[in-house]
Amino acid sequence: MGSNRLSNHVRRLRFEHGEITQQQLADKVGVTRQTIIAIEAGKYAPSLPLAFRIARTFGVSIEQIFQYDEEES
Amino acid sequence: MSKLQKLAWFNLVMMTICFILSILFLLILIRVNAKGIEYLITCFVIACITTPLFFMLHRKKSFEAGFDEREKMINRRAFSCSVIGLTVFLACVCFIPFFVLGGQNVVKVYYLPLIFLGAIFAAQFVHSATILIQCALEEEDG
Repeated sequence: MGSNRLSNHVRRLRFEHGEITQQQLADKVGVTRQTIIAIEAGKYAPSLPLAFRIARTFGVSIEQIFQYDEEES
Repeated sequence: MSKLQKLAWFNLVMMTICFILSILFLLILIRVNAKGIEYLITCFVIACITTPLFFMLHRKKSFEAGFDEREKMINRRAFSCSVIGLTVFLACVCFIPFFVLGGQNVVKVYYLPLIFLGAIFAAQFVHSATILIQCALEEEDG
């Protein structure tokens, strides 16, 4: 069994798209700022609908934001 | 601090206050031995405590409508933990006297409302504490 980790580029994309704040992104996708913080820190894996909303906010595909790494132990 | 954390703190404080007041009034009820007009007065006083508690819980439901998916997940986990907490509390309350006093002994009836109040408090305490712990762990590096 390998260990799984979902990494993301949300923080980088926020700065590339006019340096929008965590609160502004949270308001656009309909979650709290704490959820954006948890996603950026890799402590919370968003649901598929939320991942789509984030991707559409930045105008990119889900794969360009979220990467699923599976490490074999 | 998110709405969920505020709600958890609010519940923790309110439940503690309600629990202490309920225990105090229950002790008064036991002391006066609950007969006639005294019983009615005590029931009225308990109603004065439980009615605001009902509105508080009702307010909580409308409050939950504004939660996002992560907060709902935290809430679900906290609910599971509160069920475990409630089970552990009831197991301790039921089995400890059994093993300490023995099977042939008698427990006074006025312990039953105390167990009921204690069970509500234990479940709510574990629920609120679990929410606060989960939020704190997720925001540790945030």
